Amino acid sequence: MGWLSQIIKRLVRTSPQKPVTPTGFGMVQTRKEDLFASLGTLLSRYRIAALTERKGKILFDYINDPREIILDYQPTVLSPKKFFFPQEEVFLEYTANGKINPKIDFQDTILFGIRPCDTNAIKILDEAFSESNGDPNYLTKREHTIVIAIDCHKLCDEQGFCYKTHSQNVTGGADILLFDMGTDFAIKIFTQKGKDFIDEYLNTKALDPNLFKAYQERRHDAFKDLKPFPHLEYLPEIFENQKDHPFWASEAKRCLSCGSCIFVCPTCYCFDVADEFALNLHEGERIRRWDACMLHSFAKVAGGENFRQETENRVRHRINKKFNYLMSKHGQSGCVGCGRCVRACLVKISPKVIAETLIADNNVIEGSAPDVQPLENHHIKERDIRLYVPEKATLTRIIKMTDKETLYEVELASGRPLGHEPGQFVQVSLLGIGEAPISISSEPSNEPRFELCVRAVGDVTHKMSELNVGDTLYIRGPFGHGFDADILERMKNKHLVFISGGLGYAPMRSLVNLVLQTPEHYKKISILNGCKTPEDRLFKDELANISKMGGNVELLETVDCADEQWTCGVGVITTLLPDLDMVSDETIAIIVGPPIMYKFVLRSLKERHIPPENIYMSLERRMKCGVGKCGHCQIEGIYVCQKGPVFHYPDIEDKEEAI
Amino acid sequence: MSKPTVAFFDFASCEGCQLSAINLAPQQLLELLEVIDIVEFREALSEKAYHYDITLIEGSITRKSDIPRLQDIRNRSDLVVAFGACAHIGGINALKNFQRPEEYKKAVYPDTPDLFETDIARSIDAFIKVDAFIPGCPIDTDEFVRVVKNIVLGKNPDIPDYPVCVECKQRENVCVYELGLTCLGPVIRAGCGARCPSNGGYCYGCRGTIPEPNIYGQKDVMRQYHLTHDQMMDQFKLFLNHNKEVF
Repeated sequence: MGWLSQIIKRLVRTSPQKPVTPTGFGMVQTRKEDLFASLGTLLSRYRIAALTERKGKILFDYINDPREIILDYQPTVLSPKKFFFPQEEVFLEYTANGKINPKIDFQDTILFGIRPCDTNAIKILDEAFSESNGDPNYLTKREHTIVIAIDCHKLCDEQGFCYKTHSQNVTGGADILLFDMGTDFAIKIFTQKGKDFIDEYLNTKALDPNLFKAYQERRHDAFKDLKPFPHLEYLPEIFENQKDHPFWASEAKRCLSCGSCIFVCPTCYCFDVADEFALNLHEGERIRRWDACMLHSFAKVAGGENFRQETENRVRHRINKKFNYLMSKHGQSGCVGCGRCVRACLVKISPKVIAETLIADNNVIEGSAPDVQPLENHHIKERDIRLYVPEKATLTRIIKMTDKETLYEVELASGRPLGHEPGQFVQVSLLGIGEAPISISSEPSNEPRFELCVRAVGDVTHKMSELNVGDTLYIRGPFGHGFDADILERMKNKHLVFISGGLGYAPMRSLVNLVLQTPEHYKKISILNGCKTPEDRLFKDELANISKMGGNVELLETVDCADEQWTCGVGVITTLLPDLDMVSDETIAIIVGPPIMYKFVLRSLKERHIPPENIYMSLERRMKCGVGKCGHCQIEGIYVCQKGPVFHYPDIEDKEEAI
Repeated sequence: MSKPTVAFFDFASCEGCQLSAINLAPQQLLELLEVIDIVEFREALSEKAYHYDITLIEGSITRKSDIPRLQDIRNRSDLVVAFGACAHIGGINALKNFQRPEEYKKAVYPDTPDLFETDIARSIDAFIKVDAFIPGCPIDTDEFVRVVKNIVLGKNPDIPDYPVCVECKQRENVCVYELGLTCLGPVIRAGCGARCPSNGGYCYGCRGTIPEPNIYGQKDVMRQYHLTHDQMMDQFKLFLNHNKEVF
């Protein structure tokens, strides 16, 4: 059956994409004054947000009277995404004694008069907040909002470049689309929600086809000379090919890293999370705020490593996110050409100019354009209101491992086993302090207890070091992709080579201890561990026991600086590899360590002819949400909290940001 | 949890930051006093203490004779917080560092320039270890409360390390460059809510630069907006006089 399903899959994938047509809801027409009268009466039932003026600023804001609405579009600083995903949003409320409630501040809302670029942006946001784990806050607000868009019949200004990605056309992201025909609006209905709304609240009449035709001709004339990017559908490939283009460095030199481009972008959705106690220290909130990958510390972890330290890497990530990572996933450009970032940028760095430069300099386009499923229109998916709510747990044992690291045994108050795979992580919360991602050090078990080996480097981990047995902490997870059943199956009868450095043994231990339960299932087990000094070694007693196991289990250790008692190797971890007895295709190597370690270990493994397919590794990144939303952990568009932290090396081999 | 003891001290400064600290809403002040114990504060108290858990120091150091006092305060404090622009980055006082001592002495004390000890102005971290800082001229009252609260909770002070532009965008301000002004916002630490650009002004840089500011890019922008070298430097001098990358 396998081959049949393969063929069917291929047929389905390669069948021509269905054009995204606005369903069978049809079109009607209404007088403008009727529509505004209806909006006026609806103000008692709905909040209405529309383009308006406040203190000389043109922006989308809640209105008190339909007469405040500005119909002639003028570009705004911020996009209407702020109504679904506010700049700052409290999503948990709690008390110091552990009452935690999710919070969603929503109300039935009409979002009136957003433009095609922003409807296309909403499609991207809908997907971002729906995929993997439905974000309760965004999706609830979205569900309680009727989006009424207005078509653009001309380009808004010289900075707008919607036409470059076909974003001047509304293909979803709105319930209703209006066409300004003078005294009347033509109305295209996109969703059942939109149809119900019109049936209930709006006086409509049949569409006057001549009037609408005249509108369309006017619009056609305005856009006919504005051509999309050449090779638009190949943008992901073009960007992938040109990660080393000199333009990145020259743009980065001018870039102020001020983050303005991100804050004004209608399709950016990354956020940061902070805990705040009220001054009385009894009640607190967990808040999310817009964050920007262009800001210097976006990818910096508590331990100090900054995974996108250079401006050039940040510029490249930002633009690739739009034209490469999102587009290759959704077939729709993540940049909708609204022009906000160009208007906001003091040095006028423009996605349009970057794309044009890269397209012009690209001369290899191979094969057909990637075949991706276009984004569906307006799908509000399942969500779990408790997605961000941590559960109560108790510290049952605390063991000081070294000067810096402590092992905590944690038991969930519910008594349920954590149910983790080796290599997964949890988010540890301390109310009022924050949340920190910690990998699980213990092997999977049916007990409700699990272990976390923690180095005190940030707010949460420092505070943890002040806790005592019996104290409460809060847990979300397990999260991420660990050493799953398939990987464990692949390891059977192979020579396993575990290579860990420093704190890397903490997550590694969850796998090592599992494997050591049945060493006979493996051809050989070699555990290679490196540390700075003998005192820095984690799990010293366990390592001593492993070294005595004998049989097919061996432990090889090295330290950078030895003391007098040290009898094992001295030097970096790779010094252990050349003499290791390995048969290349029967060996599976597993690497966990500090970021600097990977490339050296990989080089050594390559020298020993270990094929990439036989290498697994766990990568550290900044993880704030753990559920594929906040964006901090991305490696070239891959969310480490979802696809990692455990990766099969071939999946990330060509990703410059990975190693 | 016993309340940490808190002390305020000042050196060369206008004491505006200390005034800002007590310029809290009455309810906020009462709540603050529930979590800290202010033991020494010339602006508001006559009591003295010997040891302080948290010491907030306002002002820059402009006299050699101030250094022993500063070091003495450091020795009696667990945590020292540079409080306001003068202590944090030298502040307005450090404008004089661009002149020769004879010049600024003469400018201030024309008849008796030699009677007064005054030297270049420096931030307090030039002399003692500083554990945290609250930036601004003057400090932001809400930020002061948040930093104190975070220190009490054992957290990082949580001073933003992104630039003022972020807060301007959040408020949907029209960029002041479009209004014909030049602004240091792109390289200056946020946290003030973009107060000046939001109220008809522009960013003077009182909160100091963000980590790794692109001064090259900032100067380029200012040149594009037709500032002469001298005009540009005048704008930088006000608060970024300590910043080697600028000059």
